[in-house]
Amino acid sequence: MRKKTKEIAIKMKGVVKNYRLCHEKATLVENILGKSKKEEFEALKGIDLEIKKGEKVGIIGANGSGKTTLLKIISGITAMNKGTIKTNGKLVSLIDLSAGFHPELTGEENIYVNALLVGMEKEEIKSKIKEIIEYADIGKFIDAPLYTYSSGMRLRLGFAVAIESDPDIIILDEEVSAGDEDFQRKSMKKIDEFVKKGKTMLVVSHWLDFLKKHCQRIIWLDEGKIVADGGMEILKKYKLHERVIKDEK
Amino acid sequence: MFWLNKEQKKWWDFMIAMTEREIKSRYKMAVFGFLWVFLNPLLQMLILGFIFQFFVAIKTVNYFEFLFSGLLVWNFFSYTVGKNTPMYINERTLIQKAKFPREAVVLSIVFSDLFHFLISLVLFLGWMLLVHGLGTWLRWLILPVVIIWLTALTSGLSLLFSSLDVKWRDINFGVQAIMPLWFYASPVVYTLDLLPKWMRNVINLNPMTGILETFRWAIFGMPLDWQAVIISLGGTLIIFGMGLLVFKKESPFFDDWI
Repeated sequence: MRKKTKEIAIKMKGVVKNYRLCHEKATLVENILGKSKKEEFEALKGIDLEIKKGEKVGIIGANGSGKTTLLKIISGITAMNKGTIKTNGKLVSLIDLSAGFHPELTGEENIYVNALLVGMEKEEIKSKIKEIIEYADIGKFIDAPLYTYSSGMRLRLGFAVAIESDPDIIILDEEVSAGDEDFQRKSMKKIDEFVKKGKTMLVVSHWLDFLKKHCQRIIWLDEGKIVADGGMEILKKYKLHERVIKDEK
Repeated sequence: MFWLNKEQKKWWDFMIAMTEREIKSRYKMAVFGFLWVFLNPLLQMLILGFIFQFFVAIKTVNYFEFLFSGLLVWNFFSYTVGKNTPMYINERTLIQKAKFPREAVVLSIVFSDLFHFLISLVLFLGWMLLVHGLGTWLRWLILPVVIIWLTALTSGLSLLFSSLDVKWRDINFGVQAIMPLWFYASPVVYTLDLLPKWMRNVINLNPMTGILETFRWAIFGMPLDWQAVIISLGGTLIIFGMGLLVFKKESPFFDDWI
């Protein structure tokens, strides 16, 4: 019994997420007169989802279908309004890699804070900081303040911290395909290694070729609901569907 | 810290790292660096002291020393609360990056300002020892209690205002408007016995009053108004509780509003 629950990486049940829609900020007078209406927008309308350990899942869907919201809830960045979620193991998001750095602090100081942010422990960081610096490959810039870094260097630093934190579940999007060719090759290699270790991966992307190569399961979201969940055949359906919509326009 | 469990140790490690981040980054590009910690209240003391010595008749202690001690406490409080109020909006990239204890954003500012406050305080106490000798030093033992009290009030208000400011950005404007008024509603540049009875009763409602009074009771041996102390202690508890409550309720949803 215990082993069975251990095999589940993420389990969501009836997850609903509402956002308050702000069209235009209500003026003071409208607020006082009670004229501003509060409109709720349901970004996720009851998601049931079970992802097993070691699964590579791609999440597709049009813009505004709830992909980002789903990932935010899974990674705990925001909370849901209804439902339950359980995650097993350390989860690290590779989305927005260069976020959370302090521009005035040096690369090394930033590694330290960022590593704690993604859930590493103090001793762990101390033992890994050399690897992180080496992997990020920013040379003598390591003790220069971050505002002197190029965007590529920031990206590498963010990726290095996230991947060296040894997560059990990673969440990523097409940003890993940003940066120069060298970084792309390096990051892909790391992700492949990660996959080979049998860890769980969630990819949200419009880049279907990437999904084709790296995932075995596809979840299709539309207007806050899962419309299809299964193997790679969904990609074909999705492509077809997109073409139909384009043609209709 | 062997008595902490693993989660708590992680929380403290994180809190300390965030505080260090704040301390390190603050004076990074400043030539005077840490000196500003002391320079700031010193300059303020000289300016305010020069003006107010003509208006305020305070007996027994040196007015400049009296003023400096009050400014130390007041600056810590007002600077921290003022800086913290829009903090979750300013640090939106951190919030959107990962799940982490959200209180660290605000508390790291409190702790880093506290660190600066303590440096200034030690320097000030050194000055007092040098110039006035031992005097009331036994009463200094109460200072840690006053500092915890002041930190609790500052943390409580910081959590309360910063949590509310995520949804209602008016809070920040309100805090900016109120702080100068609050300064004059606190006995920083004057003593309570200069006020008429009715006004004293009003000023005693301010939670900063009891803190400032106890602080000066310890350092200068000035008389203590127990009414102010009790109201202030109660007020601090209420504000801290409210701050914690509102923060707990709002913090899971910060990302939805920034």
